[in-house]
Amino acid sequence: MKTNSKNSTLMAWLLVLPALLIFALMILYPFVNSIFTSFTNKNLIFPKNDFVGFENYTKLFKDPNTLPLLFTTIKFVFFSTICPFTLGLIWAILMNEKFKASEFMRGLTLVNWIIPGIAIGFLWNWIYNGDYGILNALLNKMGIIDSNIIWLAGKQTSMVAVVTARTWQMFPWYMAFIMGGLQGVPNELCEASRIDGANNIQVFTHIIIPTIKPVLILILILGTISNLQHFDLINVMTDGGPERATSTFAIEVYKKAFKEYNLGRAAALGVIWAILLGSFSFIYLRNLKEDN
Amino acid sequence: MFQKSLGFRIFFWTFIILIGFFAFFPQLWMISTSLKPETEMYKISFFQNFDLSNLNRILHNSDFLGYLRNGMMVAIISSILSTAVSAFAGYSFSKFRYKGRKQVMAIILISQAFPQGLLLVSLYPMLQNMGMIDKFPSIILAYIALTLPIGTWTLKAYFDQIPNSIMEAACIDGASDFTTMIKIVMPLAFPGMTTIAIYSFVWAWNDLLYALTLISTTAKRTLASGMIFTFTGEGGNDWIGMMAASVIASIPVAIMFVFLQRFFVAGLTAGAVKG
Repeated sequence: MKTNSKNSTLMAWLLVLPALLIFALMILYPFVNSIFTSFTNKNLIFPKNDFVGFENYTKLFKDPNTLPLLFTTIKFVFFSTICPFTLGLIWAILMNEKFKASEFMRGLTLVNWIIPGIAIGFLWNWIYNGDYGILNALLNKMGIIDSNIIWLAGKQTSMVAVVTARTWQMFPWYMAFIMGGLQGVPNELCEASRIDGANNIQVFTHIIIPTIKPVLILILILGTISNLQHFDLINVMTDGGPERATSTFAIEVYKKAFKEYNLGRAAALGVIWAILLGSFSFIYLRNLKEDN
Repeated sequence: MFQKSLGFRIFFWTFIILIGFFAFFPQLWMISTSLKPETEMYKISFFQNFDLSNLNRILHNSDFLGYLRNGMMVAIISSILSTAVSAFAGYSFSKFRYKGRKQVMAIILISQAFPQGLLLVSLYPMLQNMGMIDKFPSIILAYIALTLPIGTWTLKAYFDQIPNSIMEAACIDGASDFTTMIKIVMPLAFPGMTTIAIYSFVWAWNDLLYALTLISTTAKRTLASGMIFTFTGEGGNDWIGMMAASVIASIPVAIMFVFLQRFFVAGLTAGAVKG
């Protein structure tokens, strides 16, 4: 470990320099500048850029769409984190049994997570297609429904549809982390408590869960942050519709800025979004510190 | 870990079938649709009548080929640069102690949580003023910035595991700091570097938001944003074409991943858990 020489401090900074420059140009400057933009009427097409004080914010607070936007975002983020987390946990337990095909199956599930979001969006659009989709065909055959459901056009069903696609995409990611955690569970401890008469459920709740708890908390936080940022699937599948039923901050800020060209308003909405994300990242950082 | 009791067996088989179906059926459905003859698009059939003409049709579409080429180029360049930039920064964080180190590390980590849409609100006008809209360097720089947090922290964790005595030995032998880093320490962190190279490649290959916003002409589009434009409007009902394009778009990342799976998953999870 090098501490004192001037030369090595210089080298240390030179090594970080490219990262810092790119970070400053592509993230820090745009972030700070966007906060200023939120107090202007800046527009992407008209050359106006005047200071308007808190006007963008007061308009947002009066806008009847803002509160539903917050609820929709929370709904999407909550279910898109909890559902794949649960499936990922169960799937990790199954894949951890090390049966013949387990390694192959684990790899194959991870394909869901690695392929482009656009392909996943197209695939689920096709599955949900009202007239010719396989989902309606299957449900019809099983006698669960007798008329086709237009999944992506219903206010309730569209949210279920988007969350399902997101679950399909992300549960392998949760599985991978949980499997990493399961390797740290001491087998002797499981054996010992079994001799004391514990059954599977007791071993699970008293030994396995406490051991992997740090990993579980970590992926819940990281998953929440990534769902708060998520854009691709909603954009491809519903574009926030029908009637804003699946419109989250990520979709709405993009639309305000690049479809309505209202950069000031988009920035104000984005700042509220940033506060939401910031609070979760704060929890993440505190969590990391405790681990060290 | 678990006793193979009757209850466990019921649990095991129920979920292996349910989640297995949920996970694998859509994958197969995508492939099966892409291999259908066009006349059977609306017929519910599963791997009957193979027909490669749709994959062929997409692969001979000159726009789509352009998207693939652009996407591949952008992803490879982003991957190489992001790995280099992350490795240098991660090395600095791991092997040097200096004032401001912790603050810089923290701010790079937090940048994951800056809303990307909010950044674009300023990035677009900024790049426009610089004449950089519709230019590959803009999206490449953006991808490097977005993959930096995971890249730096994962590689820092790798360098942390490499004992300092190795570097000190090299120093005594007369190697400079820079030579030691490039020739001795970095090769030892090869698994970590590979992980980050794949991670950044996949990020750039899959990205939709930045490509959609910062690229505006067909000739410059990368994969995801190009696919959106191919299959809206008239193309919106060409489900077979859509599935064929999706399969083609998924193949590079899927192949890369199958070969390097163990490396990759272990590398990423280790970096995030150890911090």
